[in-house]
Amino acid sequence: MDRLASSSDSVSINRRAFLGGGAAALVVPFTVSFSARAQAAGSTLGAYLKIDSTNVVTVYVGSTEMGQGIMTGLAQLVAEELMLSWSQVRGEQALASSASPNPYGNPLFGMQLTGGSTSMRGWYLPMRKAAAIAREQLLAAARQLYGGAWTLKAGGQVTNGPVAYPFSALVATAVTIPPLTSPTLATTSTVIGKKMPRLDIPAKVNGSAIFGIDVRVPGMVYASVVHCPTLTGKVASMPTTAAGALALVNLGNAVGVVANDTWTAMKIARSLASKIAWTQPANMATLDSALVQANGRALAQATNVAPKIYETTGAVDPAIVLASTRKVDALYQTPFLAHACMEVLNCTASVTATSCEVWAPTQGQQFCIPTIQAITGLAPAQITVHTTFLGGGLGRKIEQDYIAQAVTIAKAVGKPVKLTWSREQDFKNDKYRPTAAMRVQLGGLDSNGAITAMLYRNVSTSINGQKGNPEDTGAVAGAVGLPYPIVNRRVEFVANPCDVPLGYWRSVGESYNIFAIESAIDELALALGRDPMALRKSLLVADARARGVVDAVDKMSGWSTSTAPSGSARGVAFMKGFGSYIALVVQVSRKTDGTIKVDKAFCAIDCGVAINPDSIEAQVQGGIIHGLTAALWGEAVIVNGAPKPGNFSNYRVAKARDVPQMSVAVIASTAAPGGVGETGVPCVAPAIANAWAKLSGQRIRTLPFYSGATMSGL
Amino acid sequence: MATNLTLNVNGVNYSVAVADTSMPLLWVLRDMIGLTGTKYGCGIEVCGACTVLVNGQREHSCVFDVGSAVGKQIVTVEGLAKDAQGQKAQAAWIANQVPQCGYCQPGMLTATVGAMKAGHHGSEIMSEVDHICVCGTYSRIAKATQAL
Ligand code: FES
Ligand code: FES
Repeated sequence: MDRLASSSDSVSINRRAFLGGGAAALVVPFTVSFSARAQAAGSTLGAYLKIDSTNVVTVYVGSTEMGQGIMTGLAQLVAEELMLSWSQVRGEQALASSASPNPYGNPLFGMQLTGGSTSMRGWYLPMRKAAAIAREQLLAAARQLYGGAWTLKAGGQVTNGPVAYPFSALVATAVTIPPLTSPTLATTSTVIGKKMPRLDIPAKVNGSAIFGIDVRVPGMVYASVVHCPTLTGKVASMPTTAAGALALVNLGNAVGVVANDTWTAMKIARSLASKIAWTQPANMATLDSALVQANGRALAQATNVAPKIYETTGAVDPAIVLASTRKVDALYQTPFLAHACMEVLNCTASVTATSCEVWAPTQGQQFCIPTIQAITGLAPAQITVHTTFLGGGLGRKIEQDYIAQAVTIAKAVGKPVKLTWSREQDFKNDKYRPTAAMRVQLGGLDSNGAITAMLYRNVSTSINGQKGNPEDTGAVAGAVGLPYPIVNRRVEFVANPCDVPLGYWRSVGESYNIFAIESAIDELALALGRDPMALRKSLLVADARARGVVDAVDKMSGWSTSTAPSGSARGVAFMKGFGSYIALVVQVSRKTDGTIKVDKAFCAIDCGVAINPDSIEAQVQGGIIHGLTAALWGEAVIVNGAPKPGNFSNYRVAKARDVPQMSVAVIASTAAPGGVGETGVPCVAPAIANAWAKLSGQRIRTLPFYSGATMSGL
Repeated sequence: MATNLTLNVNGVNYSVAVADTSMPLLWVLRDMIGLTGTKYGCGIEVCGACTVLVNGQREHSCVFDVGSAVGKQIVTVEGLAKDAQGQKAQAAWIANQVPQCGYCQPGMLTATVGAMKAGHHGSEIMSEVDHICVCGTYSRIAKATQAL
């Protein structure tokens, strides 16, 4: 069992899952190598730091910056250890590495991949340690060069009495000093825990930030694609030329169109759809969301299936306990979702007989080099993969499909190519968040105040299963390891076979299981005649961190001390997940058209040491908005193999008018850092459903609230 | 037959040869001139990511024919810092640490400056700039525009 999958905190990614089974050692010992790398002028000190002649320190970041602030967060760790002034710190994405162990692989699971809200969890100590090693090397270099005793001085210097030298004067010697294996970490909190301005924000405000879609390479041509209108369909035959196109390239499931500009490529791609003969998948009729969901509901109730058991506790079969004490038996359902990253899929590639260079907005660097090797036959050393900024990743940009396409097209035309999908192609060829049906049965409370029994069944399609691994802890993430005292519990998974291409979506399993669990806890409170906040507080009494966040939102929202304003109601939800604790209270009312308005949101998060409280607040705010979109409108309907979302016009996302007044409290903690990027999302749907049930008497167990919403409607 | 056009973008004249004068300004800016700050989000005037100013007016460059931009003053995100209102908006964005992924922000900022130029202030700006931000930075934009 690997470390991530076996931890009680449900991280839904693991190496074996991604590699399709059988991979062995997972936790890579952290190493600081001297494999000098020259991405730009300056001397590298270990794999993660570069010090240039102006004493600017660049931190090479293996995790992908996609708006969550990891580049800044990791730079803060380095700045703390090296007493840097913030103005001398830069962040840069590391190149994809094929080394084993991968120095840029997340130390939690060894892979260069950003997902599961693991970046700070994985890098917190290793990056500090790397910086501390560098600090000791710089001090040793000063001793070697100048003699005497040296200490660090603010601003990236070493000092001895009145004399001071910048790191830049020492780095050439420092790289020759053998690194310590266990350096002492700084005990200061000058930068860690402070609201340091994000390093990437200035460039994102003046237009100079380079996203994947912005890459320009000399001699480059432009490409777009048209995929089979039916998911998993293939090209049977295609035209070999098109007016205005430089080339058409068969990509198997799509045709690439190369032109002198993106607009022309997209226009031709659109017009080609009717001229390509497609081989439809044999199971086309089963690629249908209504059908998959109906199967899911049936399997959630079925007694003639053998579920995979992911958790059991207690001496008695919960089914037996429930027979006499059942208080809740509810079926919840969540839909397929699109990712809808603001930046469409794109990738730039240049391929020659002896080299391949790729610029990609990717969160899955670990897979890029193997993907490119398979297409080009080149050796890893001949392949360079740059990570650009990402205009949102949300899990979609772990996938390699668009990277493989760009490389294939570039190889075919013998010129650098920038491939850009149209928004329509992006929506219609997503790797969708799986639909899930969840049956939750809960017993009442025993004399100790514990829930007597829980029988939980998740029916969904395993993302990992589609990727060749039957193990799917992700499908039950959020349902196992619940901090509520439940005496006899069983968490089951039943696979709902389906060939709709699936992928990881921000907060993965928790995005649906927490909806079911936290709705069911509310239904239990109602059945017992208990206040939902009071019930959670009594259930969580033994867990100080859980109580910390629940107590905080109780206080912030005035739940226990005031009634909601007339015409409004409050709902609460809680999650322990991604190594963090979070609680959310929303206050909702009805708009004049009778639909819901979320007026206020009060959120408390305990994510351990809060490296950058401002970034954490931003992520939680964004997570609430993302969760609100999914709860109210998010749905990718698929009919007879054809996904219905085509653009933002028929895929409603939250806009300014939908945004509640939000308060976010970041609880002070000295615990190890927890995840933040996804943590804000899962509580939103249940908190809204719980508030709506209270306001309207109507319990929403199937998401979204409003199916078929359009951007200009509802 | 390519048509030669001169476009004035951020005060600089650019000569471009376009195959089709109905090509949207967005792609001329991005692919031909190389000003990539202006973003493609939807192509159908729903998201606002492609917003530029044409003679001070907010326009969706994804549907604005390049031919119609000739002889006009085009301002993109790269040119905002050239004027006091642009600088003020950018400073407010930084002070409030608005961007997350940042992809929608060129459109948000350019539209904000356009709204300022149209005489809008504070909370009015937010209702003028009805763009999409999937990262959900709306409340920070509201804060940033409060002081404008
Ligand atoms: S790209 Fe023009 S409005 Fe979306
Ligand atoms: S900041 Fe990412 S879409 Fe707005």
